Amino acid sequence: MSSTKDISPPKIIKDKGAIHPINNMKDSIMNLLVSFGFEIIDGPEIETEEFNFDMLNIKKTHPARQMHDTFYVENKSNLLRTHTSPVQIRGMLEKCPPLAFVSGGKVYRKDDDATHLPMFHQIEGILVDENVSFAQLKDLIYKIVHALFGEDVKLRFRPSYFPFTEPSAEVDILSNEGKWLEILGCGLVNPIVLDNCNIDSNYYSGLAFGLGIERIAMLKHGVRDIREFYKSNLDFLCQFK
Amino acid sequence: MKIAYKHLAKNIIGNPSIDEISDRLFQLGHEHEIENNIFNMEFTPNRGDCLSLNGLLRDLSVFYDVNTDQEIYSEKLKMLDIDFKNFSQDICPKISFLKLEIENIPSKYKDYLNDYFVDLNLNKNNFFTDISNYISYENGQPTHCYDADKINGKLVLQELDTDQEFKTLLEKKINLTNKNLVFLLNDKVINLAGIVGGIETSCSLDTKTVLVECAFFKPEAIIGKSVKYDIQSEASHKFERFVDPECQDRTIRRFIKIVDEHTNIKDISAIEYKFKQNKVTKIPIDIDKINKIIGTNISQDIYLSNLSKLGFNIYDDHIEVPSYRSDIETQNDLAEEIARIIGYDNISRNEISIPKGKKSNVYDLENKLRLFLLDKGFYEIINSSFVGVGSSNSISVDNPLDSNKKYLRYNLTESLLENLLYNERRQKDSIKLFEISDIYTVKNNKINVTRKLAIIASGRAGHNYKDFSTQISKKHLTSIFKEALPSENFEFKVLNRESLNTKVKNEIICCEVDIANFSSDVLSYENLSKPPESFIEYTPISDLPSSIRDLSFSIKDFTVLDKFIEYILEFKHKFLKETYIFDYFNNEKNAEIKIGFRFIFQSAESTITETQVNDVINVIMDYVDEIDGITIPGFK
Repeated sequence: MSSTKDISPPKIIKDKGAIHPINNMKDSIMNLLVSFGFEIIDGPEIETEEFNFDMLNIKKTHPARQMHDTFYVENKSNLLRTHTSPVQIRGMLEKCPPLAFVSGGKVYRKDDDATHLPMFHQIEGILVDENVSFAQLKDLIYKIVHALFGEDVKLRFRPSYFPFTEPSAEVDILSNEGKWLEILGCGLVNPIVLDNCNIDSNYYSGLAFGLGIERIAMLKHGVRDIREFYKSNLDFLCQFK
Repeated sequence: MKIAYKHLAKNIIGNPSIDEISDRLFQLGHEHEIENNIFNMEFTPNRGDCLSLNGLLRDLSVFYDVNTDQEIYSEKLKMLDIDFKNFSQDICPKISFLKLEIENIPSKYKDYLNDYFVDLNLNKNNFFTDISNYISYENGQPTHCYDADKINGKLVLQELDTDQEFKTLLEKKINLTNKNLVFLLNDKVINLAGIVGGIETSCSLDTKTVLVECAFFKPEAIIGKSVKYDIQSEASHKFERFVDPECQDRTIRRFIKIVDEHTNIKDISAIEYKFKQNKVTKIPIDIDKINKIIGTNISQDIYLSNLSKLGFNIYDDHIEVPSYRSDIETQNDLAEEIARIIGYDNISRNEISIPKGKKSNVYDLENKLRLFLLDKGFYEIINSSFVGVGSSNSISVDNPLDSNKKYLRYNLTESLLENLLYNERRQKDSIKLFEISDIYTVKNNKINVTRKLAIIASGRAGHNYKDFSTQISKKHLTSIFKEALPSENFEFKVLNRESLNTKVKNEIICCEVDIANFSSDVLSYENLSKPPESFIEYTPISDLPSSIRDLSFSIKDFTVLDKFIEYILEFKHKFLKETYIFDYFNNEKNAEIKIGFRFIFQSAESTITETQVNDVINVIMDYVDEIDGITIPGFK
């Protein structure tokens, strides 16, 4: 038996913290898009109706503009952005094509249940260049989805409707249980939106896509209730080290 | 909207299966679920034209031969004498009225009408209202039936800005406020136009003379009203999404035809008001543009033939959009029509080239701060931006979800304090949290934004034998932060616990700093940790109480020490949540190592019992018993 002098004390295991799983997912997706060539831009969460709706071809009659869908602040002078698209509008007003922007952050809608929260996170990307086509949009979406869910994942494109894109699509992936799960929305930028941003839509076209970070994080981590992300429970957060 | 497979199949040549129709509907962008052979459709808000059996058949006509030509009454109609004034012609440019008197109310409906109620499991109401509902299902045009005997006097349509109580035909009382488009009879509201009629003029089971109103209301006059007054209305759902402005005459004639097929009509008269002509949308034929948009190479013949099937009129140089397709205005809209018909999944991918943007450093500094805090054992939190109590410079929400969300928060520390207390209540004895977020405030009507980092911590410095007995303090945090980031000033302070509803006495240390105050020195910090690269499958957490056991071992045979420690730290059990060494003492004099382990137990199903904990401890002890030179002083 040796002397205790020769014994090294056990290694001190320092507690390591964790990045919030939503921010971690946001960073992963943003880094992926930056690696494709997209430039990160940022914008305010408090927006005007002009940038959040008008410039994006969301007409006054659209349900999203009603008080039951959008949070208005300071006597309706402003609103909490309902999507990150106004950041892209600001980007397009500042820079001439060709351009490729991505922006991510908090957005707000008047919802509150197991699958919807009044505050959640989105990432949106936009690319404007000459002759951008729907077939190219499909190529980009395949690349994003394969990077996120693996090359073997099966996906489908469904026609949908967003006032700021035309044609518009929603993209589903096939789960292991054989169920189609919606993961993102996309489309070719509506020429009206390009014209609103002083980009000649006869010469340029664009593609855009947007995804809900909570949705992707729930799928990737197997979290069933979106509210788990925001309880600040250390037992929950420590699983994402 | 519910549509029966049987009703679709009856009008499609070739009788396709329900699965085949389902696939076609998905291809066209019409999401749905199928239950008991009923399609529960969820149409996008731009496709008001599909909110009917005929509307859906029209869309399916690109794949099948379909029948949407139901029989109508084709005789000349006598002019209706009605005292009607429309003061809102801009928002109701077209309206028709039909007055119809029958001899007897039928006791039985024809199969097609009866099937509508049976197949869709709907309740019948009265003869005329039942026909009105059926026609709305068949062609998408809502109509309203008044008992004609109750319409005596001057009927007016007007957008009014007045407060008035109104009782709907379902006997719900609503207080009309602000602007509403209403029908007035002798100055009293009898119908909230396009949404719901009133009880006073509604038809009953005995009604034999009906006044049918059939109008085109612009969506902006209707939108938001059913939500505002909490009324479930199929009519408003359709008007909000645009009905065909050219179908009112045909609808009136279809109404007469259905009545005629059920009973003898004693008298009919009708009137059609057209205050404004519907604008016809014309788009130039440009197949090159369509192929450029989609990225395909389809021929002009196929392009035009498909549009023709959808009801578009084709001329030499342009395409005329049918009146029911308010969503089609541009080449991009037409490209989407063609892409839907081809099938989005059948369009091949084209390699995309992305213009390289500049590498942004918008988040570099705060990402570095986050990794630094990760190294120091801090957990990142994301809190709601809404709070119930504001300050003089808080931004107020005009339409909050509830009274706890009336303001945007003006600091991060208060939310983090709630997070800390929440975790203390869950028996956490070492809590280190941080958040990075924007803070919005208002001063002199100007909205200001500041990006902040807030940190909060309390309890033990760490779960290891070196930090276990150290309490987090201002000095402790300042020292470890200064060591790593010497040029940054975190300005930690102690929060007073007196006003907090807690029995815990540990100091709470916090700081809140503007991100802009950090220097670029932060970027040179060499982080030890990095976020996980692979994705973790989450295990549902338990909210039940946990139970702690501490075991102190005496080790005299040091050859087994490493293996023993490894065994204990790696030991897994469904009830064992965490294990760590909280004490280590090398007693050189006695040639003995003393090592203390803390075991934290919790069950997902029920509060953990002494027996369950003992069972796990016994498994560990059985292992220890077999090793010579390790004992637990005092353990039996």
